[in-house]
Amino acid sequence: MEKNLDEQSIPHEDEGNNTNIDDTSKSSLSETKDNVEDVKPDDETKKVDDVDHVEGEPKEEKKEEEEEEESREGIIVEVTQPETPPPNLEKVLEDIDRFLATTNENNNNNANVNPNEEKIPECVDKFLDLLEEKIAKYDSGETKWGEVVEEDSSLLEGVNRVTKMMKLLSTMIIEFQSGEKETEAEGEAQAEEDAAEKENEKEKDEKKDHSTLVNRISAIQQRAMSYLEEEFRMLMEESRNQNKTENNDSSKGKQVATTEASENESTETVMDFPGFKEEVVTNLNKIACEMLLAGYDSECYHIYTVSRKHGFSDGLYKLGYERISMDEVQKMQWESLEREIPSWINTFKECATVWFPGERKLAASIFSDHPSDADTLYTELTRVVVFQLLNFAESVAMTKRAAEKLFKYLDMYEAIRDTITNLEKLYPENIVDDIKAEMTSAKNRLGEVAVLIFCELENSIKSDCGKTPVAGGAVHPLTRYIVNYLRLACEYKDTLEEVFREHSKIERSDSTSRPHYETDNQHSKEKESTSPFAAQLTRVMELLDANLEGKAKLYKEVPLSCIFMMNNGRYIVQKIKGSAEIYEVMGETWCRKRSTELRTYHKNYQVETWSKILTCLSPKGLSDNGKVPKPVLKERFKNFNTLFDEIHKTQSTWVVSDEQLQSELRVSISALVIPAYRSFLGRFSQYLDPGRQTEKYIKFQAEDIENYIDDLFAGNPHQAMVRKKV
Amino acid sequence: MPATTENNQGSFLGRISIRRNQVMSMDGSHDQELEDLELFQKHVGDRFSELLSSTTDDPSNDALLSIGWLRRLLDELLCCEAEFKAVVMMGRDPSQIAKPPLDRLLPELLDRVVKSLDICNAVTLGIDAVRNLQRLAEIAVAALEPRPMGDGQVRRAKKALNSLVAAMMHEDRDCGSSKGTERSRSFGRRGNANKDRGGGTFRSLSWTMARNWSAAKQIHAMSSNLAAPRGAEATGLPSPIYIMSTVLVFVMWTLAAAIPCQERNGLGTHLPFPRQLSWAQPMISLQEKMAEEWKKKEKKGSVGLLEEMQKIEKVGQLLIDFAESFQFPGESERLEEIRGHVEELADVCRKMDEGLEPLQLQIREVFHRLVRTRSEFLHVLDQAVKLSAPTV
Repeated sequence: MEKNLDEQSIPHEDEGNNTNIDDTSKSSLSETKDNVEDVKPDDETKKVDDVDHVEGEPKEEKKEEEEEEESREGIIVEVTQPETPPPNLEKVLEDIDRFLATTNENNNNNANVNPNEEKIPECVDKFLDLLEEKIAKYDSGETKWGEVVEEDSSLLEGVNRVTKMMKLLSTMIIEFQSGEKETEAEGEAQAEEDAAEKENEKEKDEKKDHSTLVNRISAIQQRAMSYLEEEFRMLMEESRNQNKTENNDSSKGKQVATTEASENESTETVMDFPGFKEEVVTNLNKIACEMLLAGYDSECYHIYTVSRKHGFSDGLYKLGYERISMDEVQKMQWESLEREIPSWINTFKECATVWFPGERKLAASIFSDHPSDADTLYTELTRVVVFQLLNFAESVAMTKRAAEKLFKYLDMYEAIRDTITNLEKLYPENIVDDIKAEMTSAKNRLGEVAVLIFCELENSIKSDCGKTPVAGGAVHPLTRYIVNYLRLACEYKDTLEEVFREHSKIERSDSTSRPHYETDNQHSKEKESTSPFAAQLTRVMELLDANLEGKAKLYKEVPLSCIFMMNNGRYIVQKIKGSAEIYEVMGETWCRKRSTELRTYHKNYQVETWSKILTCLSPKGLSDNGKVPKPVLKERFKNFNTLFDEIHKTQSTWVVSDEQLQSELRVSISALVIPAYRSFLGRFSQYLDPGRQTEKYIKFQAEDIENYIDDLFAGNPHQAMVRKKV
Repeated sequence: MPATTENNQGSFLGRISIRRNQVMSMDGSHDQELEDLELFQKHVGDRFSELLSSTTDDPSNDALLSIGWLRRLLDELLCCEAEFKAVVMMGRDPSQIAKPPLDRLLPELLDRVVKSLDICNAVTLGIDAVRNLQRLAEIAVAALEPRPMGDGQVRRAKKALNSLVAAMMHEDRDCGSSKGTERSRSFGRRGNANKDRGGGTFRSLSWTMARNWSAAKQIHAMSSNLAAPRGAEATGLPSPIYIMSTVLVFVMWTLAAAIPCQERNGLGTHLPFPRQLSWAQPMISLQEKMAEEWKKKEKKGSVGLLEEMQKIEKVGQLLIDFAESFQFPGESERLEEIRGHVEELADVCRKMDEGLEPLQLQIREVFHRLVRTRSEFLHVLDQAVKLSAPTV
């Protein structure tokens, strides 16, 4: 059918109409000027009449047309004169609408109407002239978009009619074509008839007019579209750039202050992320509607996509997120990579909560008539952003594992996890699964690595087997590190529980690689109630205990190793009690058990240190039939003094940094030693001669002992007992 | 496509691992291993010679560097990779692959894997740009397909095609190499740019990778330390590692050559493939063919070797020439001829429409697979370290 058109119409055009388009259209314009009112009723009635004998009787119609043509020419002369008011696009639009309505109606009602006999009213040319003029003004910049709303909307109205007319005329031409084919076939059958041939000629002229007109309209449409395209681009870009400068002004601002002085009404609604003003969106929507209607959707989508892509790139940059290749991430120092992570998380969350919804809304509002296209545009745009963001997460998870990375990994894990739950709101149904799979993959990777890192704590405990004991039996750095690490880890308790649960699932399905924690836990599977994470945590604690016990053995003095165990044990218990999260995991029973252990160490310490000195103060062996043997008494005092002095000397260098523990120890020592000493003193001091002898053997008063006990565990360097005399 | 891959992989893995489990403990496991390695070599050779032959013989096949061909290439990569894992890793004692020279070769391979991931990402972004170009070509089709062809339609097509050609040049020359995010903001304000020339669209259509990232440099880095194993190594595990590395380099080079991707200067240099090894022959032939194309195109500046883009470029130029000379209503013969070109363009667009997204997804699949494999190998290496140094 189309082929037919080419063969038929083009040679004819060449014959007569080698002039350019404007000339032809103008000539046709002058022919049929301004008598729509008069022609139209004529036209309509005729059409109705014609309907009946369209089929099969094309010849008769031709005659009628001939008549019509003549009559029209007659009218022109009469009507051209009275036309005085300047042509007005709005006015003509009404006429065009009427024309479109009736023609459409005819087309709809009678699909078989031979379009050939449809007349193009004069208002069409006038309309095209006016519209062309208008477009020229816009094109040259004489009229600017956005200055007069009425002007803009009348341009769009005009464009709208051009589109409709274009559609109508192209169908007419196509139908005409098929009509012609039929006529031709018939014409061949009755080839003898000269009259028929003549009519055919005429018909072709008509058609030539039609296609010339269509050509003109298409050119005008293209010009208009070209203008709108550019305007659409400008609007897209201006909003983007504006948004940019505004955000730069207020360094930290989601509130977009209206910077234009002209707009005193600051109540202008601005979309949260893309930063398009409602007015702009309305304009974009109007333009998009016309472009899409005209079939210029690809142009529109192209501009939209490119502009938004750059908008997004700028936005990401502004958020402080910089793209780093995966290769580079592997080579970066953790210190610098670590700094990128909060900004990544921030960007990721911002995208998921503000940007993507804003972007989706923007597409939906601009392409309101084509919601599925809008979704596609949105998806294509943001999917790439999602990929890029996730790539960073993947590449971070690929870096060499290290304990200090755990928390940053968990932060990223949480950001992704929280977004996944919201994904249905962010993406159209058909794409949600793909995106979810991508996010889940990145999340799992982070989760797996987190589990591995956490399990590797075991190794760092096991490998800590230095042979130098900590001075003074103080808290070991390993204890500090592990306990604080665990405490911090338990701030992510819920996430870690989840990660451990999910990860064990993954591992079970993959038989080639299985982290040891799982095999270790296999036999204790009866403890179903404890979560894998809690089990791992307990295991770490046990390892730490075992390690500390080993370290305690490094001390030569048993009481000091007791102090060491007390110090470390106390530290652990205090830290765990101080954090609700870890306390919850370890449980009350565990804490109580630990406290009992501590008391045992305490008792051991007392026995080890003080039992010997207490024997000096025992009255046993000092009453020999009511008589006190002086030399023995002297020896007792001497021993006590030496021992106490020694204990004071060594143990005041020992360290108990926990104040409570320190005072507990001192109180318990005082309670043990002072009453015994006091009563010993009270009972036996009288046996020594006052004066020199007393001074020599009774070096301490009870109060002195108390004071010296208060020196213990202070971590003081060795010093003589000089100070503290009451 | 993924299904077949899985199947291949499944059966092969199954076979290898079962056999190895049976055989490992007995004598003669070494022979078994040799056989596995030979099989792997042979399969790699076969896969690529099939890719090579399909480009020359049958015109109904996917042409070299077409979307369909690239997708087959990726399929083969996935298969090779699965076999490789089966040969090198499955059921093997970790300590075996932690021994020299594997303790050096394997990390080198894993480094190539990381670089491949970046290439995958760059190509994913490149496909996004190609889709934008496709949209421009579709405009031309939409404008020139319906009849009658008028000035409006021709101008519309010309505008789109001019943008397309400009964008293709742009994509190629400084695709993504724009400095940081400061791109030219100068927008052809109406009036100063020729309306029909698509002024103002001379901007990169693609997302950028990291600053200073260069596809050519990455590929160079991947291939520079690639050396064929010699002597006793040639029959041991170094051999599959070398083969896998070569395949990886080859596929990544091909992707980067086919699809616009950040910084490709110097991509034309020959890859150092070993001429004496039979499995490498088809890859060498393919690479020679493509490198020749690349050299031809490099001077002109084109978007990439993707067959569909080449067609678009060619037909696009013809249609632009037509549009320049068009006068309504046009000569019928000329119009007829143009109709043929438009159909051709429409055909290409359809192929791209159908093929690009699956290709993008497949690249993503490769990406995920490589990530997985890397972490599995690292895990095995970890275990080997643990075994060799038992904790106190």
